[in-house]
Amino acid sequence: MKYFKLWAPAIALALSLNLSAQTPSDAIYMDKGQICLAALYTHDTWDEYWEGTLKRNNENIGTLTRQTVMPMFALGITDRINVIAGLPWVRTKASAGQMAGVSGIQDAGLWVKAKAFEFKSGESVLTLHATAGLTVPASNYLADYMPFSLGLGCVDASLRAIVQYQWKGWYARAHSGYHVRGNTTIERDYYYTTQDYYTDEVDMPNALDYGASLGWWNPKGTLKAELTMDGLKTLGGFDIRRQDAGFPSNKMNFTRLGAGMQYYPISGTGLGIIVSGGYVVAGRNMGQSLVLTGGVTYQFHIWH
Amino acid sequence: MALAFWSCEKDLPTEAVIEPYTFAGLDENGGNWAPILLANGSEIGIPAPADVTSAAYLAELEDLKNAASGLSSSQKAAVQYWGGNALVRWNEIARELAAKYNLIPAPNPDGTYPAPDAANPSQYPLFPFANPPYTCRMLAYWSAAQFDAMIAAWYHKYQFNRPAPHEVDGSIKTLLPHSGLPAYPSEDAAIAAVSQAVLSAMFPLEKDFLTAKAEEHKNSRLWAGMNVESDLVAGDSLGRAVAARFLARAATDGMKNAQTPKPVSDSIAQAAQDRFGWHWENLEIPQRPVGLAPLFGKVKPWCVPNIVDVRPGPPPAPGSPEFQRDAEELQDIQDNLTTEQRHIANFWSDGLGTYTPPGHWNRFASDALLARNYNPLRTARTFAYMNMAIMDAGISCWDAKYYYHYPRPSQAIPGFQTILGIPNFPSYTSGHSTFSAAAATVLAHIFPEDKAQFDAWAEEAAESRIYGGIHYRFDATVGIETGHLVGNYSVVVAQADGAE
Repeated sequence: MKYFKLWAPAIALALSLNLSAQTPSDAIYMDKGQICLAALYTHDTWDEYWEGTLKRNNENIGTLTRQTVMPMFALGITDRINVIAGLPWVRTKASAGQMAGVSGIQDAGLWVKAKAFEFKSGESVLTLHATAGLTVPASNYLADYMPFSLGLGCVDASLRAIVQYQWKGWYARAHSGYHVRGNTTIERDYYYTTQDYYTDEVDMPNALDYGASLGWWNPKGTLKAELTMDGLKTLGGFDIRRQDAGFPSNKMNFTRLGAGMQYYPISGTGLGIIVSGGYVVAGRNMGQSLVLTGGVTYQFHIWH
Repeated sequence: MALAFWSCEKDLPTEAVIEPYTFAGLDENGGNWAPILLANGSEIGIPAPADVTSAAYLAELEDLKNAASGLSSSQKAAVQYWGGNALVRWNEIARELAAKYNLIPAPNPDGTYPAPDAANPSQYPLFPFANPPYTCRMLAYWSAAQFDAMIAAWYHKYQFNRPAPHEVDGSIKTLLPHSGLPAYPSEDAAIAAVSQAVLSAMFPLEKDFLTAKAEEHKNSRLWAGMNVESDLVAGDSLGRAVAARFLARAATDGMKNAQTPKPVSDSIAQAAQDRFGWHWENLEIPQRPVGLAPLFGKVKPWCVPNIVDVRPGPPPAPGSPEFQRDAEELQDIQDNLTTEQRHIANFWSDGLGTYTPPGHWNRFASDALLARNYNPLRTARTFAYMNMAIMDAGISCWDAKYYYHYPRPSQAIPGFQTILGIPNFPSYTSGHSTFSAAAATVLAHIFPEDKAQFDAWAEEAAESRIYGGIHYRFDATVGIETGHLVGNYSVVVAQADGAE
C-alpha cells in the first residue's frame, strides 16, 4: 500500500498548474520518516478558450502550449501528518502570432495534510482529512498578459477538506478547498478592469476548488487507476471583454474530467511511474486545455 | 495567520485623492486672455445677474441655505469629490472612458472585421474604438473647450463682480475653501456643461452617466454653499455655448474620413511602395484589411499651420546599414531582455484597454497641476495647450506613418517576436515618442522647474517601444524630435495668449 502515496497529490498539482494552486487532495500518507521524491512533466495545450462565456479561437495565438516541469516531495512527519512541497518551472509558447512566450520558475508550494478522522466497519473505511497549503511566487515573473504569463503572481493560502470512502480495493473521494489570495503586482501603475485602478497592485479574487474521484488498486498493490473530476470557481473577478486580453483577476472557472494511473514496475525498489490526462469540459476566461502528465516517483525511509 | 494578514488589506486606489485647496492665484485678468476658438472672452454673452440686494437673489440665498442643510453622507462625499479640482476630476473620467472603449474589433466568423458605427453606437463593435488618435482628439476638444469656457467665465465674473454667497450673508458656512473669485457665472457649472456636452458627443453611449455626473457636480456647489442657482444657470449656459462651438469644429475637422475604406487604404500603401519600395502590412490573422486611421494625418491641427511642414525625413531603407544596426539592436534586446527593460516596456505599454499615451500624459499633467493648487482657468490652460500639442503630434505622426508606410520590426525581421502586442499601423515614427515629446515640451514650458522630469519620461516612453520590440530606435529618435517640434507650436501660441 505504501507505494501509492504520492499519486493523487502529484496529479492534482500537475493538473492544476498555477490556475488554482491546488493543494494535495488525496487521502494517502507517507509513513513517519518516509519520503517520496517525484519529477513530473506536464504538457497543457489549447486552441480554444472562453472569452468571458464566449467560446472562441484566436488565430494570433494558434495553439497555446504550457509545459511544466515540477520536482516535488512528500514527507511523513507522523503516520497521520504529511508535508508536501513542489517547485514548478513553466514555459509558455504560442504556435502563431508575434507574441514571445516566457519561461521560468513559478510558485513554490508547501502543504501540510493531516488525517482528522477514521471510521472502520468491516472492509469499509471512512476517513476525513484536512490540508493547509501556501504557494508563493518564487521568481519575479510577470503576472500580466494571460495566457502567456507563468502564473498569477500572488500568494495563495488554502484550506481543504477531503473525505474518502474505501471498500476493498475501491475508493471514492471528494474534496473542496478555499483559497485566499493576496494581491498580485503588474508592471504598470494603471489598469482598467471594470473601472480604473491607479496602482500596480491587483486585488485577486479568492477561489474555491473542488473535485471527486473514483479509483481502484490491483490486489498486488502495484497498479492504481483513477477517474477524476475537478474544477475551480473564482469567487469574484471579471470577464474578459470582447477581444480584450486576459488579466490576472479574471473570473477563471473550469471543470475538468480526467484519468490517471500509477504503476510500480519493480517490487521493492520504491520506483513508480505516473501518467494522467485531463480535459477541460467547461470554462470561463480560460483555455480549453488538454493536459497530459508523466513522471517518476521514488520513495524510501529517511528515518524509522 | 495568513487569513488574518489579508483581512486588513486596503482598497486599491481607483481615483486621485484631491483635497480641496485655496487657489495659488486668481488671474483676475484671465478674461482678457486669447481663447482658442472664441474671438474673445466677451463673445458669448450672459444676462447680467440680479443684484445681491434684490428679492430674487435673497430668495436664492434662502434656497441655498436649505440645500446646504441636512446633507446626506453621499452629498458630502460629492462636495469633496468635486471640490478639489473639478477639471482634474473630469479629466480622470475622460481617461476612464477612453480605457473602457479602447477595444479593437474582433474578427467575424468569416474572417472579415466589423467596424464601429457612430450612427449606431450600441451595435458591436461599440462606438467609439478609443484608440490613441481618437483619445488624443477627444482630450484636445474637451480641454480646449474648457479653456475657452474658463476665459469667458472669467471675463463675466470680473465684468459683473457678483460676490460669493458667504460674502453676502455671513451666516452661510461653506464646505469648501473660499476662492475669492466673483461667483457669477459659476466656473464649476461651465466645466460640468462643457464636459457633459463634449464627452457625450465623444462617448454617446455614456450620455446618461455623464449627465448624472454633471448634475452631481453642479449640485455639489449648492450643497457646499458656494454658488446660488443663478450662478450655476449662467455657467451652464456659457459652457453649453462654448461646447457647441468646439463640437461644430469637430464635425468638420476631417476625423470622420480618417478610417478609410480598403481601396483608399490600399492606394496609400501602393503610393509608399511606388515611392520608397516598401509598405507596411498588418500581420494579424485574419489580416485587418485597413490600418488604424490612415487619414488621421489629414485631420485639422490646432497649432501647426501645415502638418507637412513638420513631417520628418525618410527612415533608413530596410537592408541598409543603418537599418541593420537598429534591427540587430532589437534582436539583441529581445534575446537578453533585462527585468528593468521589461518593466519599462510594460509601464509605458498604454495599449488596448488603457487610457493610451495621451491619457498617460494627462495623468502626469493632473499631478503637476494639483501640486501647484492651480485655479480652474490655469488648469484648463495647461490641459488645453498640452492636449492640442498631443493631438497635433498624433496628426503629424500619423501623417508620417502612412506617408512612409514603414514595416514594423516583426514584418521586416524574419522570426522576430515581441513582448508587447503589435499596433495596427505602420512603424515610422513611434506614436509614443511623438505624443510624449509634444506633451513634455508643453509641460516643461508651463512647469519649467520639472522640465528634466518631463523630458526623462518622454525619453523613457520612446525607449520602452524599443524594449517592447515594436519600434526601431530610429522610429523613437525621430518621433521625439518631431514631438518637440510640434509641441513648440503650442508653446508659441501659449506665449502669446496673455497669460504669461
